[in-house]
Amino acid sequence: MRPVRFNINAKKANIQDAVATVQAPPGFSGEGFFTTKMSDVVGLARKNSMWPLPFATSCCGIEFMATMASHYDLSRFGAERVGFSPRQCDLLMVMGTISKKMGPVLRQVYLQMAEPRWVLSVGACASSGGIFDTYSVLQGIDQVIPVDVYVPGCPPRPEAIIDGFMRIQDLVGQESIRRRNSEQYKALLNSYGIE
Amino acid sequence: MQSIIILSILVLLAPLVGGLVYGIERKVKARMQNRMGPNILQPFYDFFKLADKRLVMVHSTHAFLGVMHFISIWVAVAVLIFGGDLILVIFLHLLSTALLIMGGFSTRSIFSHLGANRTAISILAYEPVLIIMAVSIYAVNGSFQISSIIGSEPLLYKMPLTFIALLLILPIKLKKSPFDVAEAHQEIAGGAEIEYSGIFFEAIYTAKWLDYIFVYALVFLFGGSNYLLGAGLVVGTFIYLNALDNSSARVDYRQMLKFSYFVALPVAFINLLITLFN
Ligand code: SF4
Repeated sequence: MRPVRFNINAKKANIQDAVATVQAPPGFSGEGFFTTKMSDVVGLARKNSMWPLPFATSCCGIEFMATMASHYDLSRFGAERVGFSPRQCDLLMVMGTISKKMGPVLRQVYLQMAEPRWVLSVGACASSGGIFDTYSVLQGIDQVIPVDVYVPGCPPRPEAIIDGFMRIQDLVGQESIRRRNSEQYKALLNSYGIE
Repeated sequence: MQSIIILSILVLLAPLVGGLVYGIERKVKARMQNRMGPNILQPFYDFFKLADKRLVMVHSTHAFLGVMHFISIWVAVAVLIFGGDLILVIFLHLLSTALLIMGGFSTRSIFSHLGANRTAISILAYEPVLIIMAVSIYAVNGSFQISSIIGSEPLLYKMPLTFIALLLILPIKLKKSPFDVAEAHQEIAGGAEIEYSGIFFEAIYTAKWLDYIFVYALVFLFGGSNYLLGAGLVVGTFIYLNALDNSSARVDYRQMLKFSYFVALPVAFINLLITLFN
């Protein structure tokens, strides 16, 4: 038996789900009004609308397909629209073995994404080279691009991918709205040789 | 005076309503596929997120064409709401799609070209039916003015076949399966808007919401002065479109053209002949 509740007991549709609301950001509320910070609102919007760009090169990609499909349903988090143009996406999901020749391509794709952008490294191969400790495989994509969250596993189950995704969401929701202008961010990118 | 203010507010609210329709549609679609689906306000989250992305444009003409696409479709919806000329509405809408196609062709990306090409093909498929629809409305009503159409008896009873033809081409117009060749995600990676990003993509994205308003307003016209009937038609069309979208697979663009010319167009044409000789 698989350790997934949905498999055994079909989940009943609930009226609460249909109008699923997100947690309101902290702020002051009174009769008929609610105030909060601009950055919180933008963070909330960003967090719930992460468009992933799947960069799937091998087996972990299959697991991502399961994550997108109706059983695990990544669209609950607003990540329904998988873009295949780096310009329109926010989250680069690297899934699979990245060989050394693929490294520059990955970097190119990362550079083409418009800020704000995040990177999720899915699976042992993308995070550390995994079982492929050979001359041809990049030992972790963090050698070419900055990574925000690593998901371990070979391959990680869809639950793990979703967990990684939710961690990214936490990051995004709390980040300052103009992280891309901060010194720290620039220093991070410079350490990868990105202007 | 007061009615003008109300109508202007309606025009300003049109994108909001369209966004809501889009959100509900995503939810309905998700439920039809037995999944949870995104939040109903999802389009607005996307909207705010896109507004703050860094500006990346291919070149300025490309970006300009995208924004004009949005503006011209908004003007089309505005004329529709203000009760203007039906022909004007249809051609403004055509203009907006043409701008998108020009935008698609103005980049060097091959996917953008493919998408623009297919958008042009789908115009070929649905535009004749829309024009025949306008002509037959004229034949029945003696006027292209939307305000007079809305004031008259329900068109549905006089030209049911035209309505059926409209239903047949709506999936092409809204890029829904089985006729979603224009933005087939798996084949050509998203259509003519593929090279837009950030705030310019937002214009395209919002134009899509306005497209919904445009289409459902056209459907509403068939109810005439019977607003309840119009609303019923809109809801029926919404359910029909989503059911069709979820239960069918994409066809080739040649099959789409054939379907449009050999099924939808004759149906509309027969209705036109009947109204002309009555
Ligand atoms: S981590 Fe394992 S499953 Fe994932 S790509 Fe590498 S070998 Fe394949």
